[in-house]
Amino acid sequence: MAGRGVKLEQDKKEILKRGIHELPAPESFAVPSRFPPVKGEPDPKRILRAAEAAGIRSETDGVPLRDLLRSLAEQKTTLLAARCFDDDPFAAGEQAVLRESPEKVADGLALAAQACGAEETLIAAASRAEVRLLSARKIPAAAVAAGNRSPADFFLLQSLRRSGKNAALLGAQACAALSDAVREGKPAVEAVVTVAGNAVSKPGNYRVRIGMPLSLLLEFCGADRRAQFVSVGTALGGHSVLNLNMPVGFSTRCITVLKKPPLRREFACVRCGRCTTACPVGVVPWLVHRELESGPPEPLLLFHVGECIGCRACSAVCPSGIDLAGEVRRAALTKEGGRSV
Amino acid sequence: MILRDAAPPFTREGPCVRSMLGWTLFALFILLVVPTVRYGPRPVTMACAAMLTCLLCELLANLLRTGRFFVTDPSPLVTGMVCVMLMPLNAPLWLPCAAGAFAILIAKAPFGPFGRTPFNPAAAGVAFTALCWPSLVFTYFDPSQPYVLPAFGPCVFREGQSAAAVLKDGLKPDILPLDLLWNPIAGPLASGLALVVAAGGLLLFLSGSAHWEPTAFFLGVTALLAALFPRIACSPLTSVKYELLSGSLLFCAVFMVSNPVCEPRSRTGRCIYGALAGALLMVFRYFGQYEQGAVFAVLAADAVSPLLSAAVEHLRGWEAKAHE
Repeated sequence: MAGRGVKLEQDKKEILKRGIHELPAPESFAVPSRFPPVKGEPDPKRILRAAEAAGIRSETDGVPLRDLLRSLAEQKTTLLAARCFDDDPFAAGEQAVLRESPEKVADGLALAAQACGAEETLIAAASRAEVRLLSARKIPAAAVAAGNRSPADFFLLQSLRRSGKNAALLGAQACAALSDAVREGKPAVEAVVTVAGNAVSKPGNYRVRIGMPLSLLLEFCGADRRAQFVSVGTALGGHSVLNLNMPVGFSTRCITVLKKPPLRREFACVRCGRCTTACPVGVVPWLVHRELESGPPEPLLLFHVGECIGCRACSAVCPSGIDLAGEVRRAALTKEGGRSV
Repeated sequence: MILRDAAPPFTREGPCVRSMLGWTLFALFILLVVPTVRYGPRPVTMACAAMLTCLLCELLANLLRTGRFFVTDPSPLVTGMVCVMLMPLNAPLWLPCAAGAFAILIAKAPFGPFGRTPFNPAAAGVAFTALCWPSLVFTYFDPSQPYVLPAFGPCVFREGQSAAAVLKDGLKPDILPLDLLWNPIAGPLASGLALVVAAGGLLLFLSGSAHWEPTAFFLGVTALLAALFPRIACSPLTSVKYELLSGSLLFCAVFMVSNPVCEPRSRTGRCIYGALAGALLMVFRYFGQYEQGAVFAVLAADAVSPLLSAAVEHLRGWEAKAHE
């Protein structure tokens, strides 16, 4: 039986209130040149060409938007939803983009749907308050509140597919960038990145040039030089950064700067069962942990491990600090190979 | 910046082991307040002595196992406090220390660090002292006399009979059932504090430090058996009140049966575990030699806990099926 994910405490009100700050590009960066916008009524081919010319990439995984829309067309997607929420406790870029320019997001979504052949569109907002905001601004797109349990995109897609729709998600930034590309010929050279954490004096959403080194961005945001931990990506699925020369990319989304690294001490499993309640696909992480702990596991006992989506909800709720997500991944490899790893 | 590496997730939700033990310790500390106000500093010295003994035993065990002198978590302090709560206040100071030492060195350390013990260590420690020194464990001072018990040293007191002992003799206790909620009565340290114990339980359940299912089923089954088979001539409701509020039943229901380490992992298993512990407790009360049988019931239920887990897993199909 599938679980209900994990509800992470959010603390983004202040960041969202301040809107998106524009960060000037470094002097060494070339001024981006525009290309001719699509004239008249855009058709799927011209939309895809504009996406390619603009160099738009999905902020979720960095895949070029043109390739993504083509694969959605091949999969016969019937409903395309704009992902305008962040179930991460720190990231707030998608919400900020929707609040700043809902018309652009809706337009981009409609264009993307046209390009991939989806008949329906939906704006998945973070909360009912934002759905009401869209309605007040008379945005011509259906909207829904995506729930607050992580992984929210998984649960949203699950509920859409259960109602018979072949649904897919597209990031809010990609939608807005597509609208800019088609209507104004603007290339996608910027990304909205949330900078947060207890070692930053100016946390917020920043629109930065792709390729800007993290060090420059953090200097602008007032990062404490004594901070010992920087991570990129979401709090559940991101990775730590050891070299601040790393450039900002399309899929950076969130940079968290902390005074001390979130080190965890691992204890033995205390049999609370919270991991099972959290897993959205029905893996039983404590059972996997027990099998791996007691020597070479029997692959037949590692059921459902191949369905793991890597959301790390199990690791987030484990009171003993066990890396259950890593163990499920190992178990999936074991089962796949039919051997111990 | 000198940056350090860490593996995701970088955030977590819900209690961690330290906070669970912290809340449990806090709820146990609250239980010390009323006896200290009533009888002087002896409850505090007993608690300190027991906790210190458990801590030293844990250090010794870790030294023997790993060669390093360290303690990873506050579980020895919790064990010490639970041992004290199940002892009479007039017991010699070495008694809860002996219980704590047995709990850590015999019932916990051989199985590994925190989280691997199959039996509740405090229950094992108190059971050990009950078997070796029953006269010390089950002798209580008469609280109707105005005592200030010495912080250290032996206590001189007039003996009183606990409500559990009177029920064991088939007689109706002098005290009214609802007076057992909040009045000084003869019994273990945690008896006569039913309201505080209940508040502690609520704290543990709301903070996610303990599961409510075993406690609920434990109390439900004991209440049912008390109503169906009263030990004294009274109404079923009166029997339920006396049985639930006498002795250390309520304390065990909140602080011992709900121990997540020894319970089965599934909700169904935990419910059965609680019900089984409750039924065993009443059996020990009806047929056992001692007036208090809660620790033995907890130990017996802990022994069956792996079987309950396996049974639930089997019913749910979580087992190796023949590869076809």
